[in-house]
Amino acid sequence: MFSDTIKNVRKLGVRHVLLQALNFATVLASGLMMWKGLGLWTNTESPIVVVLSGSMEPAFYRGDLLFLTNPSSLRYQTGDITVYKIPGQSIPIVHRVLETRDVPKTNVPSRSLEKVPRPENQLLLTKGDNNALDDLDLYHGLSHIERQHVVGKVRGFMPYVGYVTIMMNDYPQLKYALLGSLGLLSLLQRE
Amino acid sequence: MVLMVAVALSSLLLSADPKGKLNIVNLTTRTGGTRGRPRAKIDQIRVNFNSTADLRPLFNWNTKQLFVWVQAEYISAKGTQNQIVLWDDIIQRKEDALLNLRARNEYVIHDLSFKFAGASPLNFTLKYNVMPYVGLLTYGEAATTTKPIPFPKPLEK
Repeated sequence: MFSDTIKNVRKLGVRHVLLQALNFATVLASGLMMWKGLGLWTNTESPIVVVLSGSMEPAFYRGDLLFLTNPSSLRYQTGDITVYKIPGQSIPIVHRVLETRDVPKTNVPSRSLEKVPRPENQLLLTKGDNNALDDLDLYHGLSHIERQHVVGKVRGFMPYVGYVTIMMNDYPQLKYALLGSLGLLSLLQRE
Repeated sequence: MVLMVAVALSSLLLSADPKGKLNIVNLTTRTGGTRGRPRAKIDQIRVNFNSTADLRPLFNWNTKQLFVWVQAEYISAKGTQNQIVLWDDIIQRKEDALLNLRARNEYVIHDLSFKFAGASPLNFTLKYNVMPYVGLLTYGEAATTTKPIPFPKPLEK
């Protein structure tokens, strides 16, 4: 069986193998391109996130997929669901806005007539629907999160689909097996 | 996958804009500590409200749950615009979506300066968020108080 595949490769020649490798690389590159393009369009570093904890149950469960946008002019309002990341912590948190405080800029000269507070001066306090208390203890000493900590606002929802990535994180072998078999398949496939 | 898209798109065509009533029964200010600062002197308000609203039209085949909350809004003496959730609830069944509430605030309402002196009167609003099985999250406003209510004088304790 194995000698068969080797014979196969030999018959197809080096040129074909290289072509398939190139094809595989194109697929990877266009995937990355789409991800980054989506990120540019929605102005967020990760336009799609997977829910990792149960703190927003029964709205979101582990493995649900969320679609984010983060227009720079967007003011957050109470009830919006944000994804935020506290500096020094690697895991982003998906929680709902409980308080918004639009602080006017004080160091702006009075002539600029900036009556409406800009989004970057907004302070937020958040809470998980399933948690009894607000997120003050998660903020690592901050009393509110600032706009710069917010990754995006949850706009769309798709259940369960993200569970594959959780599985891959929990069992890294699965990830390598999947990637490896995909690569092998694409290399050995005859057009 | 196609079914998911169909469900998500079809439910967007159904729109409902239910309206209800929100009444502030009692509003008092007290001064004291909070969870993070137990010994500080922080002005806090206590709100008793009642509300009626029929949110059942918001339930269709793609409605997983409603998130309902009451928001207080005011502008503080320094010009900071504040929106604070004082009460919220999750509604998972259509039968429970006929609201007839008598409640008080679950969450602490205080100002960043810890004082309400010089702040604008308060506006209260009942809002909802429809959370789908699949698709886009939608938001709406079900009721608001008829006119702004000034902050009461703090009671000394």
